[in-house]
Amino acid sequence: MKRQNTKAYLLLLPSMILAVLFSFLPLIQSIIGSFLNVSQQGKVLGAAGLDNYISLFSDKAFINSIGHTFLFLAIFLPLNTVLILLAAILTRRKRRHIAIAEYVFLIPMAVSLSSISLIFREIFRGRVSIANRILSTDLPWLESPGCAIFVLALLGVFLDFGIDYILLLSSFRKIDRSLIEAASIDGAGSLRTLFYIELPEVKPMLSVIIFLAIKDAIMISAPVMILTAGGPFRSTETIMYYYYLEAFRSGNRGTGSSIATLMAILAGLIMATMAARRRHDRENG
Amino acid sequence: MIGRTAERFLLIFLLAIIAFPIAYALMASFFSPMDFTDSYAHFLPSSFSLDNYRMALGNRYYPQFIANSVITSVIQAFLRSAVSIAAAFAFTHLEFSGSKPMLIVLLVTMFIPPDALLYPNYSTIAGMGLLDTYWGIILPSVFSASSLLMILGAFRSCDKNIYEAARIDGSGDGRYVMQILLPMTRSIIAAVFLQTFITAFNSYLWPLLVTSRMGMRTVQVGITMLGFAESGEFGAQFAAIMMITLPFLIILVIARRKMMQALSDSIIN
Repeated sequence: MKRQNTKAYLLLLPSMILAVLFSFLPLIQSIIGSFLNVSQQGKVLGAAGLDNYISLFSDKAFINSIGHTFLFLAIFLPLNTVLILLAAILTRRKRRHIAIAEYVFLIPMAVSLSSISLIFREIFRGRVSIANRILSTDLPWLESPGCAIFVLALLGVFLDFGIDYILLLSSFRKIDRSLIEAASIDGAGSLRTLFYIELPEVKPMLSVIIFLAIKDAIMISAPVMILTAGGPFRSTETIMYYYYLEAFRSGNRGTGSSIATLMAILAGLIMATMAARRRHDRENG
Repeated sequence: MIGRTAERFLLIFLLAIIAFPIAYALMASFFSPMDFTDSYAHFLPSSFSLDNYRMALGNRYYPQFIANSVITSVIQAFLRSAVSIAAAFAFTHLEFSGSKPMLIVLLVTMFIPPDALLYPNYSTIAGMGLLDTYWGIILPSVFSASSLLMILGAFRSCDKNIYEAARIDGSGDGRYVMQILLPMTRSIIAAVFLQTFITAFNSYLWPLLVTSRMGMRTVQVGITMLGFAESGEFGAQFAAIMMITLPFLIILVIARRKMMQALSDSIIN
């Protein structure tokens, strides 16, 4: 037995070191750092108690970033849910021409975050943009606060669409065929079958997708950097973009650590709730 | 009958929305500078010249960006697979004390969002003197709990009797892993490798933070800084985007079914 201990520990060593060094340690550092007074050069000047949190919540820009993040979430989440549900429902039965639609719906997965952000920047660039031409509108998409956050939400849908679609589609296709056939023999129309048989069956997967979408939405930052750099008039500064500005641009270590701590807890809670729900679903399903 | 038509109409509408950005990017990769600055926006280019592609490839950094991305992504995919295989083998085939707590410690990292750890991780990498190096880009995301979980699931479903028989035959663990275990689970291993490669190749934020020399930038960071847009040459930027997107579109067409399977399994498990 002793020999196996050594061998197992050696095999686990790389994973353990990496998990501790790049996951646990930085989390602990952020938590401790959020209660310390740290200079811009990274020198610890003493305990700060709750000062970092107090100054964070009295910072108007941070409060605004919370508002922007939740506005983003409020536009993104319904839009994303409706679009992936429609796409999956319309292509859930395998037919020959449906396969082509499947490929098209997977395309967003092949396009990287920075590529799609640059593409969106061009589609919505200025009043002569292609978006205005197609919609016959005359909106300054990325130059007006209300429009810019909407474009950001649309971009968010594109980032998640491919993977969400795959998950939902395979969930639809895993439904026991005999359930659907029995319903149609009983005379249920396809709409009734969808609402009473199929949708309840995919509900667990849909809830996983929604939880992941919420987590992704509150953590959004990279697309903001490329699409709007927080503008116009700081109207698209999200919480995590603000974290990036604080930690990397302004050198405010203390408040940066406070944001990191709060967001890590929030994201962790969302993931844990999701895991608990899935366990619950599985035990009752 | 009306339902059918409405359904078809809705599907086509949705397809158009989803396909539009990439279709537009493809068209824009052929645009002349005039096409971009015209008083009304085009969808079709005025001519299908390859000038933009020539210009992107002729850029002194673009090929270097791609090389950096490919190298770091391949190393990361290789290391993540290796590290996960080693750990998964220990958890599924060896008896040792502390197995359960150690597994929990590794899996808990799934609940810690890496995006909230950017600054301390940056400090660690800077402290190790790894800024502007491939290792600085690679190291923090080598370990991934979800990849470990996928391989763990595959190894668990393997018949333990084969392992016992191999041991009685006197073949060592190394030989068993290389000649029996890995070939039996190769589709999952390949899925982990490919998934890691794609994620690494597409990552933006981390490589942006840990590199500052143009020669060390990865392509996802680099394309936002190519400078074509500033000089009014948007077309070359779209050509650069299309050239890094095309390989993934091809992978998607070839591996669609396998990928769908692997992805849905990895979430469902």
